[in-house]
Amino acid sequence: MSEQAHSVTGIDSRKLLMWIFLASDCLFFGALISTYMIFKGNIPNPPYPTDRTVNGEFFHGLLNIPLTSASTFVLLMSSVAMVLAVYGAQNNNLKMMKGWLLSTIGLGIFFLLFQVYEFRHFLHEGLGLSTNQFGASFYLMTGFHGVHVGIGVIILISLLFGSFRRNSLGPDTGFHIETAGLYWHFVDIVWIVIFTLVYLMPY
Amino acid sequence: MENTHSSDANHLSIKQYLKIGVLLTIITIVELIASYVHLGALLVPILLGLSAVKFVIVVAYFMHLRFEHPLLSQIFAFAFVLALCILLALVALFIYDPSIANR
Repeated sequence: MSEQAHSVTGIDSRKLLMWIFLASDCLFFGALISTYMIFKGNIPNPPYPTDRTVNGEFFHGLLNIPLTSASTFVLLMSSVAMVLAVYGAQNNNLKMMKGWLLSTIGLGIFFLLFQVYEFRHFLHEGLGLSTNQFGASFYLMTGFHGVHVGIGVIILISLLFGSFRRNSLGPDTGFHIETAGLYWHFVDIVWIVIFTLVYLMPY
Repeated sequence: MENTHSSDANHLSIKQYLKIGVLLTIITIVELIASYVHLGALLVPILLGLSAVKFVIVVAYFMHLRFEHPLLSQIFAFAFVLALCILLALVALFIYDPSIANR
């Protein structure tokens, strides 16, 4: 890591920048989750997120908790895979880094497929972006998170391809993998909050 | 996986990371079970508590914030608290006047 990369605080300026970016992203997700929380109790027309009886008529809820629990588990495991990829990079173990990076990418794509399935199912059940407040806030929040996962997968694929071009780890590779790992873990913690507040929390 | 030792660069060993992974899985399963069991008024604090534990574990150990310069923790904590305040303020506003949602 070059000397010029360090800020006056002694922290690598690239790492500092990543943390500032994650902090700002925290506010983005805070606003999106707040919007969902506001509207979840005030949905005027079906479909609803959970089972509900309105004027004597019963409506099945759309949220599939067992399916989302599985996708949550997949994302959690991708975080474990990512931290092991960082471990491999920091210990100059190229084979370990590549293996766990590939696992993280695979799990990330698997999570995205879960989300595509969920969105398709919701659309099939009549929930569009403009159907009601639930649709608007749900698609925006989880879609924004999905875009983050997608960007994370692209970053990790580019790092993996970069690692195939060389036979040993360069001085900055461990740092690049660690920084990408910070982003990936952030995506995971956002989902931890969304899973609890959106899927598990009762009205 | 021949490297199982801790170092300053890694902070934790592979075994410790795997243990954390198992712990996160157990907490998720407990959350799921709790959401299906009728716990009444206890459900919300239990779910929030378990979620907070998972959040802190990932930030502290996977993102290594526990071992980093305190400034990084302060930056992240500041933004997180601010996001939490936005959430609480908006939810409180809509509880005070629910009709706002349908305007």
